[in-house]
Amino acid sequence: MKIRKISIAAVAAATALSIAACQKAETPSGTTAATSAPVRLQGAGSTFDTPLFSKVFDAYQKIGGAEVNYQSIGSGGGVQQLTAGVVDFGASDFPLNDEQTRTAEAAGGPVVHVPVTMGAVSVGYNLPVDGLKLDGETLSDIYLGKITKWNAPKIAALNPGVKLPDTAVAVVHRAEGSGTTFIFTSYLAAVSPEWKSKVGAAGSVQWPTGVGAKGSEGVSGQVMNTPGGIGYFEMSYADQNHIKSALLKNASGKFVAPSVKGAADAGAGAAANMPADLKAIFVNAPGDTSYPISGFSWIVVFKDQKDATKGKALIDLLKYVVTDGQQFAEPLEYAPLPKPVQDLDLKAISTMTIAGQPPK
Amino acid sequence: MRYATRRKIVSRVAEALCAVAVLLALLPLVLILFYVLKEGAGALNLAFFTQMPKPVGETGGGMANAIVGTLILIGLAGVFAVPIGCLCGIHLAEYPETRFSSVVRFAADVLNGVPSIVVGIFAYGLVVLPFKRFSAIAGGVALGLLMIPIVVRMTEELLRLVPSGLREGALALGATRGRAVFTVIVPAALPGILTGILVALARVAGETAPLLFTSFNNRFWSLDVTQPMASLTVQVFTYAISPYDDWHRQAWAGAFLLVMIILALSIMARLAVRRLERMNRG
Repeated sequence: MKIRKISIAAVAAATALSIAACQKAETPSGTTAATSAPVRLQGAGSTFDTPLFSKVFDAYQKIGGAEVNYQSIGSGGGVQQLTAGVVDFGASDFPLNDEQTRTAEAAGGPVVHVPVTMGAVSVGYNLPVDGLKLDGETLSDIYLGKITKWNAPKIAALNPGVKLPDTAVAVVHRAEGSGTTFIFTSYLAAVSPEWKSKVGAAGSVQWPTGVGAKGSEGVSGQVMNTPGGIGYFEMSYADQNHIKSALLKNASGKFVAPSVKGAADAGAGAAANMPADLKAIFVNAPGDTSYPISGFSWIVVFKDQKDATKGKALIDLLKYVVTDGQQFAEPLEYAPLPKPVQDLDLKAISTMTIAGQPPK
Repeated sequence: MRYATRRKIVSRVAEALCAVAVLLALLPLVLILFYVLKEGAGALNLAFFTQMPKPVGETGGGMANAIVGTLILIGLAGVFAVPIGCLCGIHLAEYPETRFSSVVRFAADVLNGVPSIVVGIFAYGLVVLPFKRFSAIAGGVALGLLMIPIVVRMTEELLRLVPSGLREGALALGATRGRAVFTVIVPAALPGILTGILVALARVAGETAPLLFTSFNNRFWSLDVTQPMASLTVQVFTYAISPYDDWHRQAWAGAFLLVMIILALSIMARLAVRRLERMNRG
């Protein structure tokens, strides 16, 4: 009898729980007691943007803005979910290609690219050598599999006086498609004609050599654990994990380490000759202090918003992200947008419409 | 004499090998528990259970929304899977030989073998795309689909364990078949069926893949099942792939809590089985 009582109690409890779960309940969570239901926006995409967005969106909510739930599922995923109409905005480290643009336009009309931040991609290595110097051609040769030893003449020529070990080069790259790969291969394609013709620039490419690892965390982990390893990942992974980053020779012939400033300086040049759709790639940018593997990250939205409330909230959010939101960039190792880019962003945002009408 | 000695030796050797095998099987579990606890203990505090996630750069914060989210998600999974699973199981136990039953049984086995990410994509197409939004319901459907085959087969097995005397007695007293099933056989097997449900819940509580594109994740406190919902597994996944030590610690703590939840469900299941055995004996 006792058993049955317990069982019935358990079933009853489970039912009660699920009924409770089914009711729309708002429980205070230490945030503002909402007078009216806050507007909720869903976003998804770039892993690179996640830490910055977690901070910016948190701050935005605190000043009374919309609740923004952003989840990192990868740049490609973000674009896909935007196209499927499941999220309100996507975030991507690479602009939509022709095919993505066609699918997106078929689903919800034209899209707007809004650059929201800039970042640098580190080339991390695992050698008992500090301040290793590389140039584009050498890096391309390493990733083409033409340089297999760390004491190869080409590397030695760039590092005079440095005792390079006879260690084999262990090339690590991303296994899956990624925005980081897009920036990295864009750089290699920009500096090496051979890379451009043999491999090309894309979010995922046919790698001539090396092992694949999943995510920036996978690539940085693999480099850390492999003597002689080399890999590329977002700068914050190198800093947080204390991985040495190579100094890269930029277009002006100077060797620069990855830094927020290096990315910002590279981006400043891009602002001057920005294409109308804001899909600027600025790898190997000119300037003495420019870090060559730098790029924008974009928020991608449909130009025409169908839902009035959400559309208005989204436009307000975008304005905040590209202006006031930029104050959070530098402490988190992102390069804040230069003023001219912010202005271009605002201009692009002002072209957005709500159900065909300009927002009030 | 010598033959007997030899047999004794062989027996001892076999026993020792068995013991070694048991140890090897247990070792990973102990190591996992130990390692997860060691890494996660630092982040396990009251705030972890009561607070919301903090953005990067602000230490502290917790996973209150993900803890509640996981419980709601497995609750929803149970709501979807238990009625279907139990009714299927009863059918299989009552009509074990029909052609339909063998089809159902086969389907349940195949469903059991479908990778969870595929189930997630199915739920994405079924629930997320038509409504144009990620929702806890979609996550519950995905987890429920994973639970159904386990509940079906467990229910069937356990109903068959009920002594046939009970059924015969009920029928002899003039009960209809339906009445015999629902008032005698199912109640007798109820603790066992509950065990099956608990085992299935424990199995799906640890799933990440089917939730990525269904319940998604939510940075906010939300009990609204039509909205995206946080879950421990997805939160652990998100934190684990970040570059930040603070988030890594939170991920470990989340993993530890998840293991504990699954352990608790499994222990509850064991206790229910023990009661069933005692009852059948007495």
